[in-house]
Amino acid sequence: MKVFVLVLGLLSGYASAHQFTPTYPELSPSHMTGVYKAEMILFNTRKEIEYYALNVFDKDWAPVRFATENRLVKIDYEERKYVNIYISKKDVKDASYICSKSKILSSVKDTSIVASRICSKIK
Amino acid sequence: MKLKNLLFLIPAATVLSTNAAANIPISGTVESKCVIMTDTDGLYGNPTADKLSTTAADGGVVPIIRYDIITASAYKAVITTPSSFSSSPNLPDTVDWTSSTTVGQTSDAGMSAFESGKVVYNNSHTTEFDLTIAGSVWFNVSSVAEYGYGKAFPSGNYTALITAECIAQ
Repeated sequence: MKVFVLVLGLLSGYASAHQFTPTYPELSPSHMTGVYKAEMILFNTRKEIEYYALNVFDKDWAPVRFATENRLVKIDYEERKYVNIYISKKDVKDASYICSKSKILSSVKDTSIVASRICSKIK
Repeated sequence: MKLKNLLFLIPAATVLSTNAAANIPISGTVESKCVIMTDTDGLYGNPTADKLSTTAADGGVVPIIRYDIITASAYKAVITTPSSFSSSPNLPDTVDWTSSTTVGQTSDAGMSAFESGKVVYNNSHTTEFDLTIAGSVWFNVSSVAEYGYGKAFPSGNYTALITAECIAQ
């Protein structure tokens, strides 16, 4: 019975979830001189969400310049995406957080919607 | 091949294939992470003409957000309740918002400390919880909107946004 409850809990819980890992990404030199990169993984099991926005912030939550393939990532339900965040060498010392935030389409008409944001801290 | 040899080889092959199947590895890694789950979608009840409320007594449904934490003290949860509608009919008068975020169910009894240690700011719209214990915690978010001075909310659809954040620390 306990196992059943646990499985049920896991199944229901992961029916609608947002994951962004690792918790503490490391910046390593990329294939471009003077540019560092962090490798992040985004996992979406929120059926009503198709897009996540990526951002980089300093310790005071001011935006830091960065580059990535798409700042607005289109991701399907139950899809896992590997995302590279590129930061120039001069901005590396300022970059503290890499965040992903769910973007809700205007077509979603639930009465109370949850926007989820997960921020990883750069080592 | 002689029948005697075949009788020996067939069971031997079966044993070998069984052994090979038994040795297929399944690997996995449990890493530090925060998972935000929308456990229960909220719903505004309309107990009086001038009020929209998610509390059960007012006919609403309290939205519940679940956080799963793998590593203790790696994250803090920040939940911001609505202070405006993201979509609604035209509202020429002001809307007064009250809200609260509380710890609901927990996977560990010690997580009740999250409630006593929470920090509330931004006119009570934002609540911060230090996730010092690994496991699962459910947060209940209540939101009440009152229109004008006893004015009736215009008919139509109302949508409000809760922001649930997980910040690595």
